[in-house]
Amino acid sequence: MSEYLLDMRGIVKDFNGVKALDGIDLKVRPGEIVGLCGENGAGKSTLMKVLSAVYPYGTWQGQIFWEGRELKAKSIRETEEAGIVIIHQELMLVPQLSVAENIFMGNEITLPGGLMNFEAMYQRSEELMAELKMPDVNVALPVYHYGGGHQQLIEIAKALNKNAKLLILDEPTSSLTRSETEILLDIIRDLKRKGVACVMISHKLDEVAAVCDTVSVIRDGTHVGTRAMREIDTNEIITMMVGREIKNLFPREEHPIGEVFFEARNVTCLDVNNPARKRVDDISFTLRKGEILGVAGLVGAGRTELAMAIFGCYPGQYEAELWLDGKPIKVDSPRAAVTQGISMVPEDRKRHGIVPLLGVGANITLAVLDDYAKFGSIDAEAELAQIQKSIARMRIKTASPDLPIKGLSGGNQQKGVLSKMLLPSPKVLILDEPTRGVDVGAKYEIYKLMFELVRQGLSIIMISSELPEVLGISDRVLVIGEGRLRGDFINDGLTQEQVLAAALGQDGDTIH
Amino acid sequence: MRTSTKRFQQFFSRYKILTLLFAIVVIWVFFGQITDGAFLTPRNFSNLLRQMAITGMLASGMVFIIIAGEIDLSVGAQLGLLGGICAIMDYHYHLPVAVTIGTVVVLGVAMGMFNGYWVAYLRVPSFIVSLAGFLAFRGALLGITQGVTIPLESEGLVMIGQAYLPIMLGNLLGLAVFALLAVLTFRSRAGRAKHGLSVAPLWQDLAKLTLIGAMIAGFIATLNQYEGIPVPVFVTLIILGVFSFMANMTVFGRRIYSIGSNLEATRLSGVNVRVVKMIVFGLMGLMCALAGLTTTARLAAGSPSAGNLGELDAIASCFIGGASSRGGVGTVYGALIGALIMASLDNGMSMLGVASFWQMIVKGLILLLAVWVDVMSGAGNER
Repeated sequence: MSEYLLDMRGIVKDFNGVKALDGIDLKVRPGEIVGLCGENGAGKSTLMKVLSAVYPYGTWQGQIFWEGRELKAKSIRETEEAGIVIIHQELMLVPQLSVAENIFMGNEITLPGGLMNFEAMYQRSEELMAELKMPDVNVALPVYHYGGGHQQLIEIAKALNKNAKLLILDEPTSSLTRSETEILLDIIRDLKRKGVACVMISHKLDEVAAVCDTVSVIRDGTHVGTRAMREIDTNEIITMMVGREIKNLFPREEHPIGEVFFEARNVTCLDVNNPARKRVDDISFTLRKGEILGVAGLVGAGRTELAMAIFGCYPGQYEAELWLDGKPIKVDSPRAAVTQGISMVPEDRKRHGIVPLLGVGANITLAVLDDYAKFGSIDAEAELAQIQKSIARMRIKTASPDLPIKGLSGGNQQKGVLSKMLLPSPKVLILDEPTRGVDVGAKYEIYKLMFELVRQGLSIIMISSELPEVLGISDRVLVIGEGRLRGDFINDGLTQEQVLAAALGQDGDTIH
Repeated sequence: MRTSTKRFQQFFSRYKILTLLFAIVVIWVFFGQITDGAFLTPRNFSNLLRQMAITGMLASGMVFIIIAGEIDLSVGAQLGLLGGICAIMDYHYHLPVAVTIGTVVVLGVAMGMFNGYWVAYLRVPSFIVSLAGFLAFRGALLGITQGVTIPLESEGLVMIGQAYLPIMLGNLLGLAVFALLAVLTFRSRAGRAKHGLSVAPLWQDLAKLTLIGAMIAGFIATLNQYEGIPVPVFVTLIILGVFSFMANMTVFGRRIYSIGSNLEATRLSGVNVRVVKMIVFGLMGLMCALAGLTTTARLAAGSPSAGNLGELDAIASCFIGGASSRGGVGTVYGALIGALIMASLDNGMSMLGVASFWQMIVKGLILLLAVWVDVMSGAGNER
C-alpha cells in the first residue's frame, strides 16, 4: 500500500498534436487538501478531466495509481465508483428538481418496479444536509429556491452520497459571497477530518492558503512544483504560476479626474418573478470624467441589476433617469445604450459575452459591423485590418482571427469581449466582474488597459466581488447592500473592513 | 488507428463540402451503373435539376432560419397557398402576369414577416408559430380553391416553370458569372494589399479561378446538350449567388450566424436582434412565393395539395447540407447540395421503379446517416 491515495505520474495529453499536458505529476495523501494552481489554460481542467475519465484511459499517456493500484477507468461512472468525484465550476444541478432528487440523481433509491423511494431519499438527504451544517434546507423543494452557496453544498452532498474519497472542486467559490465561502472552507476542513481528501482548483490564493495542506502549481501543461503550504506564501505561488514576479498585482496609476460626466438618478428595479420585491431600491450616483468607480457589495445585493438598468437590459420592470454630459438620455435597449456611448462587459461571459461559434474577429466587430459596411455589404479587408489592430492592442492569443472564440482561454475571451465593447468608442464603460475566471497575467493586462482608457477620458464603472481588486483599482467606491446604496467612499486609505461593514448594513461613514 | 480516425474526422469537418460532393458522385455513379447510363444523360440531368429547384428555393430560405436557431414548418403550406393564389388570380381574374407575380411575391414576404413578428416580437416559439401556420395556411388554400385544381391560362406564367433560357443567353451568363468571380478575387487581393494584410500567391488564386471556370463551363455545356438552362434552375442559381453573398459579405448575414450562436450576447452588443429575425422569416416567405409560383407554373395549375410536406424536404436538405440543429452553423450551398442529394435519390429510384414507400424509407435513412456523420465529425472538436 502506497502512502498516497492518488498518484498521477507523467500524464501527457494532446489535442491534435498540441500538448495540453506534458508530463504532469499529482499526488494526494488520504485526507489531504491539495491546492491546484495555474493560470487559465495551464491545463488544470484538462488534468482533472483525465483523472475523472472524462478523457477515458487510452486517450492520454502516463499512469494513475489509486489506492496503490493502477486505475484504468474508461468512464466517469468507474471513477465515481472508485470514489473520485468532481464538482465543476458550473454546477451540474437540475434547478427544477428537488434537492433530494438532485442528490440522488443517477443512483436513486427505488422501490420494486422502479418507483422512486422518496421516503428513503429524503431521509438520507436530510442526514447529509445536517452533516454539512445546513439542517434547515427543505430537501423536497426545487433547487432553484436556494442560492449559489447552498447549491455548491448540495453538489457536495451529492458527492458525499457517492462515498467520495477524493473531491475535486473546480473554482468552488467563484460565485459565492464571503460568508458562504467561509462556510464552504469550513466544510472542506471538516471533511478532511473525516478522511475525505480534496483537490481544490482556485484562482483565489488566499483561500488556497487558508485551507490547503500542499499546493501544486502547473504552468503551460508542465508541473512547476509541489510545496507544503506552510513553507510558501501566496506571492511565491503567483511567481510559480506566472514564471515571473509580478511585483504589484494592482498597477494603480495616477490619472486626472474631471467634472461629473454621467449621472444615474432614482434607479429602481423590481424583481422579475415577484414585482413586490425591489432588487434595486432608488439608487442615485454620479460618475466623473476619467474616473474608475468601483461598485462593491455581496452577491445578490443588486449590483448587476443596477448595471443592467443603466445599460437598458434589465429583464423586469425598472426606472432610471440617466444624464450624460449634462443632457438627459433615454436608454431602453442595449442598442440605445451603445449608440449613446455606454458599453457594458457582462458578468457571465459564456452566456452574455461571447458568440461562441463566430470567429475571434467577428466577435470583436460585432457591435460596430455597420461601420465597415456600404449598403449592408461588409468591406472584409477594412474589417480585418481593424480586427488585427484590436488583437495586437489587447495581446489576444489566437492562431487566427477566424478561429471560433470558444476555443480560447477565459482571459483571451474576456479580452475579446472587451475589444468588442470598446470599438463603439464608449464614453462610459461598465465592467461587471471583469476579471472573473481570468488568470493573473491577463488580469494585470486588463487593469493596465483600464488605466489607459481613463487617461483617454473614458469613465469606468467596475462591479467586482473581489475587495482587493475594488480597493486596488477604484478612485471611488460605491457599496450596495440589499438593493440600496450603503456607502459612497473616496478610495483614500479605505479598508476592506470599512467596505464590508457598509455592505452588511453596519454604520459606515459616508464621505462625499 | 485512433489517430487515423481523428484525421478522418478532421478531414470531414474541414472539407464538409467535399464530402457532400463525394456523396453526390457516389449516388450518381451508383444510379448510372444500375440504369445503364440512363441516369447520367444530359436530359435526365436537366430533369433532376428542375426537380430539385423547388426544394432548393425553400432550403435556401430555410437554412437562414435554421442558422438563426429557429424552424419553420409552415413553408409547404405557404408555398401551396401562394401557388393557389397565383392560379386564382390568373384563371378567375385574368390579371396581367406581372401583377400576379408581384402580388404573390409581396404576399409571400408579408406572410413570412407575419410569422417572424410572432416569433421575434411576441416571443412565441417558432415551432409553434409555424405549426399553426402549417394548419392555417393549408386550410386557407383548401378554402380558396374549394379543394379543386385550378388551371393556368397565361403562357407567360407557365414559362416560369417549364421554359429554358436561350442557349446564347446561358453561355453569356456563364461568362458573366466567371468574370464577376475573377473581378471579386482581384479586388479582394488589392484590398488586402491596401490594408497591409498578407496576400495569397497569385498562382493559387489563378488555379482556383481556372477550376471554377471549368466547372461552370462543364455545367452549362451539359445543359446545352439538352435544351439549355431551365428557368427554375436559373432562379435557384441566382438565389444561391445572392444568398451566399448575403451570408458571407453582409452585416445582415453575420447577424444571422451571431444570433444563432448566442442571441443574448448579440443583443447585449447593441444589435437589434428582433428585426434580424423578422427579416429572416420575411426572406423565407419570399422563397415560398418563388417556389409557389414555380410549382404552379410547372404543373400549369394550382393544386390544393401543392407543396405537401415540402417543409420536411427543405429542412432535411439543410441538415444534410451541414446546418446544425442548435443554430449558428450552415451554408446556402450546403443546403442546395442537400436538396440535390434528395432530388437525386428521388429521381434515381423513380427511374428504377422503386415503390414510393421505399423511397421514403431510403430518404429517411439518408437524413439520419448524414446528420450522424456530421455529429461524429464534430465530436473531435469538443474539448
